[in-house]
Amino acid sequence: MALIQDPILRAWLSLLALSAASVLVAFLVPAGLNQAVIGSVILLLAWMKVRLILSRYLGLWQAPSWKSGFNWVLGFYCLLLLGLYLIPALAG
Amino acid sequence: MDVPGERPRPGSLEELPGELMMWVLIISELLVFGAGLAAFLGVRITDPAGFAAAQDHLHRMQAGVNTVVLITSGYFAACALRFSIANRTSAARLSLFGAMVLGIVFLLIKVWEYAEKIEHGISTETHPFFTFYYLLTGFHAAHVVAGILILGLVTWFAKPRNIEVAAAFWHMVDLVWVLLFPVIYLLR
Repeated sequence: MALIQDPILRAWLSLLALSAASVLVAFLVPAGLNQAVIGSVILLLAWMKVRLILSRYLGLWQAPSWKSGFNWVLGFYCLLLLGLYLIPALAG
Repeated sequence: MDVPGERPRPGSLEELPGELMMWVLIISELLVFGAGLAAFLGVRITDPAGFAAAQDHLHRMQAGVNTVVLITSGYFAACALRFSIANRTSAARLSLFGAMVLGIVFLLIKVWEYAEKIEHGISTETHPFFTFYYLLTGFHAAHVVAGILILGLVTWFAKPRNIEVAAAFWHMVDLVWVLLFPVIYLLR
């Protein structure tokens, strides 16, 4: 990846890799892997994709303070989603 | 979104790339879809087994392919803006056309997905999972339709400012999908 100089192309390839990783990780659930770990990884990958789209596709790399703000808020939002997702497992 | 200009004060609204109103729209859409996804997982708490059983009717690979299609169309939209800024209007138009074609491919796969569900008698009434599924993915698909129309419009009026706004809308559609896809299709 370091060899690819074009940031948009690099972002696109990274998004493809992250999306493929999400699907592969989701398929590991029936294999008996811990639900909390799988959920955390899937949402972490989603957050990474969101960061890339905001930064490279939407150009927030030019506005570091805004980029940081979006990243934090969406990071907390993904944590909220993870919490909601894990409640049934924790309650059971 | 890298139209050259003066360097604004860090943290100011002027620092945001592109049109301010487009950012207002992006934040609004994130709030709407974000609330929808949180509500989806909130309702899931009452019936996790039912949600998992309902989710088994979805095709993850198909949705994964659609993710690749949409992300790639976003790449074309980003390239269109870059070409437009470099005064390469024909290349920009071609990139916009590529983004539109992939948007249409996304919709065709989505229609196929819905048709299959309807064929199996799955409607919004079948289970709360499907109420959210149709509502959220349907609302997103409506944005894809709007995005394709906007991309078509700026292909005709191919100026950097127009393409910047259209590309931003298209990336917003991307942004919503990369949150929607894992929550609806992958988390179980």
